[in-house]
Amino acid sequence: MSTPREPTGHELERMSRSELVELGGSLDGVQVVSDEPAHGSDTPDRERRSRRLVTLLLVLSLLCAAGFVWAYLFWPTGYVPPGAPGHTAYLLYTPLIGLTFFGAVGALGVALVVYVRRFYPDEVAVQHLERGPSPEKDRFTAAATFAEAGAHTGFGRRTMIRRLGLTGFGVIGIMGGLVAVGGLVRNPWRQGTDAALWTTGWKPTGDEPVFLRVAAGDPREIVKVRPEDLEPASILTVVPFRESERDDVEKNHDAEMAPDNPVVLIRLPAGTHVTNPPGREDLHHGDYYAFSKVCTHLGCPAALYDTQLQVILCPCHQSEFRITEGARPVFGPAARPLPQLPITVDADGYFVARSDFLDPVGPSFWEMRRGSR
Amino acid sequence: MMRRLRNVALIVVALAAVGGVYALLVPSPQTAVAQTADTARTAQGRALYEQACISCHGANLQGEPGRGPGLTGVGDAAVYFQVSTGRMPLAGPQDRGYRKAPAPEFDPTTEQGSANLAALGAYVEANGGGPTTPTTPGDQLIGSDVAHGGELYRLNCASCHNFTGRGGVLADGRYPPRLDGATPTQMYTAMLSGPMAMPVFSDQQLTPEEKKDIIAYVVSVRGQNNAPGGFGLGELGPSTEGVIAFVVGLATLVGVAAWIGART
Repeated sequence: MSTPREPTGHELERMSRSELVELGGSLDGVQVVSDEPAHGSDTPDRERRSRRLVTLLLVLSLLCAAGFVWAYLFWPTGYVPPGAPGHTAYLLYTPLIGLTFFGAVGALGVALVVYVRRFYPDEVAVQHLERGPSPEKDRFTAAATFAEAGAHTGFGRRTMIRRLGLTGFGVIGIMGGLVAVGGLVRNPWRQGTDAALWTTGWKPTGDEPVFLRVAAGDPREIVKVRPEDLEPASILTVVPFRESERDDVEKNHDAEMAPDNPVVLIRLPAGTHVTNPPGREDLHHGDYYAFSKVCTHLGCPAALYDTQLQVILCPCHQSEFRITEGARPVFGPAARPLPQLPITVDADGYFVARSDFLDPVGPSFWEMRRGSR
Repeated sequence: MMRRLRNVALIVVALAAVGGVYALLVPSPQTAVAQTADTARTAQGRALYEQACISCHGANLQGEPGRGPGLTGVGDAAVYFQVSTGRMPLAGPQDRGYRKAPAPEFDPTTEQGSANLAALGAYVEANGGGPTTPTTPGDQLIGSDVAHGGELYRLNCASCHNFTGRGGVLADGRYPPRLDGATPTQMYTAMLSGPMAMPVFSDQQLTPEEKKDIIAYVVSVRGQNNAPGGFGLGELGPSTEGVIAFVVGLATLVGVAAWIGART
């Protein structure tokens, strides 16, 4: 390929646009092999049809965009129960938003693709590129430039300064990494026997009794549980409650939200035969049994109380815990019984927890065997 | 003057006496009539019981080992739920007691059927008491606070019946039913009586108002009532939606990419 002659400034000024493009291409070693007009616009008829299609798609996109804005701002979104007037309009909101958004973005995209396919010429160009490494003279001169810069600035000679400077950059890098990683490093066992994995909100503080409170989703609604609140064969989810925190909405909200607090209080049907595990005979109160609601497999809320088989079933992976045998797992992936909460009734007839759970709550963990209890 | 006053006083006393005697006498025949009606209904219930239930539940509701549980104290609510949903009487030994069309004589949509249900319930209620079917008609058992009902539903019911009453799985091959066909009265009596594997939700645990709100929630989400996207995909949760998004979405994207890249 011959190198074209460099045009003078005067010549450049007189060249047309296509001539300039051709010159640029030849300077970069680009050669146009073929340049067919686009298929969608090679006759006046096809050209008109293509133009109309693209225009139509763009108008559709604009209309959909306007429709989206209008629906987003003005369409009624409040819940309307079925049967009431306006229910259909309420149901239409989501499809309307979705379809107008899809229409706006989709039609614009399709218009662009159609434009490219119908109007862009079918051009094939080839550019000549060098293979392999740069020519020897380029490599030698570039290396010499770097060495020269080092020598001129003195970094090449002043070894001490160069090394200290580089070390400084390295240390700053380590500082950044330390800040990023440091936040992830925690010692979960720092509090010893009070560490979060060993205790729950049921752990008594001082002599204050911990009551069983109905978990109703409202931290302002305090309902303590008495035995007569449950019929035989019924289940109730409860969370810890202390009288000193009666007006502390935040504390009561936290007690409901803490993942290891929920307990299912179950009243077995009268006369159910129960064989409690050895050493765990006195954790229940009559027919009332309290177990952690957190599955020992992966921590799902295990709360399907089957009153025929007297099992608690976890809906996630179908682990079954037999209530009448200390919530021992009898089926499914769970390997540990649901921890039992020791309960009794205080002088006023309300259920209270006698202590925290005897076993750690939730999924098992490595350190459990060397646990504090 | 004194004489006239005394006459007035006499008349007042006499009137009061007549009114008092009337008030004492009249209500008693009414009570007596009501009692007779109750007795008649209980007797009718007993007759129905001896036709439809006695072979499994025993002559004195004591139950028959291996065939059916005792019914003492289960109450009228349990009778209404089990019989009006067709669970009882069982169709045969293979029938595990799931919902089916009710026996024609116990069809709650007919006048005769509801009268028979009430009679049978009265008979069972007369033997040991138990929770009773609400007397308010079904459409008045739908509460007004759907949002609160939804919260209570998710706390108490969703673990078994799924978030929109789609049912689920239980141990031993059994399953909690879908709530599509349940009438408000059936849902109410189910909560009161705790049929089959379901726990009891007494009025101390969920007040009548809360029960009504739960029913309102179920009514508002079942069927196509809760499909703001237009198509619920069985309302089974994120799995079906994920499969659809993956298969349909991916196929569409591949198709679009092929169309963009294709030469004319």
